[in-house]
Amino acid sequence: MEVLFYILLILLLAKVFGELFERVGFPSILGELLSGVVLGTFLIHQESEIITFLAEMGAIFLLFTAGYKEVHLRDLRESSKKASIASISQILVAFSAGFLLGMYFQFSSLESIFMGVAFSPTSIGVVVRTLIDMDYLSSKPGSMMLSSSILDDIIGIFLLSIVVTMATYDQFPSAVQILFILSKIVAFVAIMLIFRVKFFPTLFAYVHKMHVKESIFAFVIMVALFSAYLAEVFGLHAVIGAFIGGVMISDISHAKIEHVQSKVTGVAYGLFVPIFFAFIGLSVNIATLQTVGLFSVAVVLLALAGKLIGGFAGGRLIGFDNYDSLIFGVGVMPRAGVELVLISIGKELGIIGDEIFSAIVLMVAVSIFISPVLLKMAIQSKERTKSINT
Amino acid sequence: MTDAGNEDCIQCGRSFSESCNEKLIEQVMIKDLVTIHEDDTLDKVLEIFSKHHFHTYPVVNDNYELVGIIDQDVMLRILLVQRTPRLEHTHLAAVVSQGETAKNIMVPHPVSMSSDESLCEAADMMLKHKMDRVCVVDDGKLVGIMCKPDILNEIYELRGSE
Repeated sequence: MEVLFYILLILLLAKVFGELFERVGFPSILGELLSGVVLGTFLIHQESEIITFLAEMGAIFLLFTAGYKEVHLRDLRESSKKASIASISQILVAFSAGFLLGMYFQFSSLESIFMGVAFSPTSIGVVVRTLIDMDYLSSKPGSMMLSSSILDDIIGIFLLSIVVTMATYDQFPSAVQILFILSKIVAFVAIMLIFRVKFFPTLFAYVHKMHVKESIFAFVIMVALFSAYLAEVFGLHAVIGAFIGGVMISDISHAKIEHVQSKVTGVAYGLFVPIFFAFIGLSVNIATLQTVGLFSVAVVLLALAGKLIGGFAGGRLIGFDNYDSLIFGVGVMPRAGVELVLISIGKELGIIGDEIFSAIVLMVAVSIFISPVLLKMAIQSKERTKSINT
Repeated sequence: MTDAGNEDCIQCGRSFSESCNEKLIEQVMIKDLVTIHEDDTLDKVLEIFSKHHFHTYPVVNDNYELVGIIDQDVMLRILLVQRTPRLEHTHLAAVVSQGETAKNIMVPHPVSMSSDESLCEAADMMLKHKMDRVCVVDDGKLVGIMCKPDILNEIYELRGSE
């Protein structure tokens, strides 16, 4: 049972490296990715089916907990009112940057669209610490970043649903086929909404009275698995279903009891999610990165520039001054969890190859490193100008 | 070892759990509540916390419907946001820390019970879900709150009286 030893090693290194990065002021996700790269280079040379499965569960639980714990339908409604113009602007430019880059390097249309999708989301968590330290969380660009990043993830997941379904067609789908894809997504969400209104509240009201141990926890996990499975039945990807399933029970009181939430988080972040991040690191092909050096550099630069320019333009469109627009643009640059889920799906489905996969992992790592630094510089430059003018 | 409560009840012909089951939440709950309105500002909420010394306050809307709770942990997290470890800087935590009204910072969708449920059910629920208190709601409207010490006192009295 060599695989048991591998899982032990992956968890151990992911946690140790994660801690080291946290201690020096960077998010632990970087350490978890690095643990995979190190293991892949020195020890684990072949992919085990069990580890692949655990990593897939990691992706499912990452997005499930995001929907279950982090998204409130109320926030979503408020965000969409406040931030739609700025969000759409930065997503549109980032998507175009990815798509055009793919086309320029002569990847297929599907691969290029996938790159556009992978360029789209934002992981605001990476820069929250900087915003707090600089006392900018409650500023106009700060609160716009918070509102915008919710929409980013939702739009990213929606785009992923489309691109994953498109992958089942041999060629670029026709208008009718795209309509069919959209109707499948709408049908899935509609069914989940019916479950949300008619079934889940009653289910959890009964479940909390059950005598067997951990019944609520088990049913929360069952919702994750059920929604992931149902999404697959509809031709969508399991992680999309898991995210929507999480959102659907995010306002059911019995499902949100604090100690149930902490168990779900424990299973996700204590086991599956670190394995997922390490698995991404394991799958990075360092040799490929070297051979396609120019492409990797272009991916990193354009992914960051796409968000910066799109965010800046979005900020200007909603009336921010140049500095606030710049701060907003830099703030939406970081990518993390959702992007890694996107590319792992792309690789699993054979949409993208090693070169795109490895280049995007590099882009994620670079964005996590430099976004907080650039954000700090942008805020300082605004403060400097303000003090000179006064 | 014989259970003292059950031993007493053998003499009075009723088991302790029967007495506990007959006692309803409405007979035990605290009805005189200090509540927070969902539109109260953060300053108002802080004022309530400094004036009274409860751990948790129910948040209600104009119709006196329970919409959430705010406890000391929520307030501490907001006041000490600078000291929060990086790992807890999630998007939601950041949004909550910027909340200006009770509605934005409260924990929404709290678990509640209805006043016609028994004392034992309340005790079971608190033990099972490691909760220290539960809001009591009838037809969506807040009617009371039950805390562990209230249940403990009541059970102690029940056992003593039998």
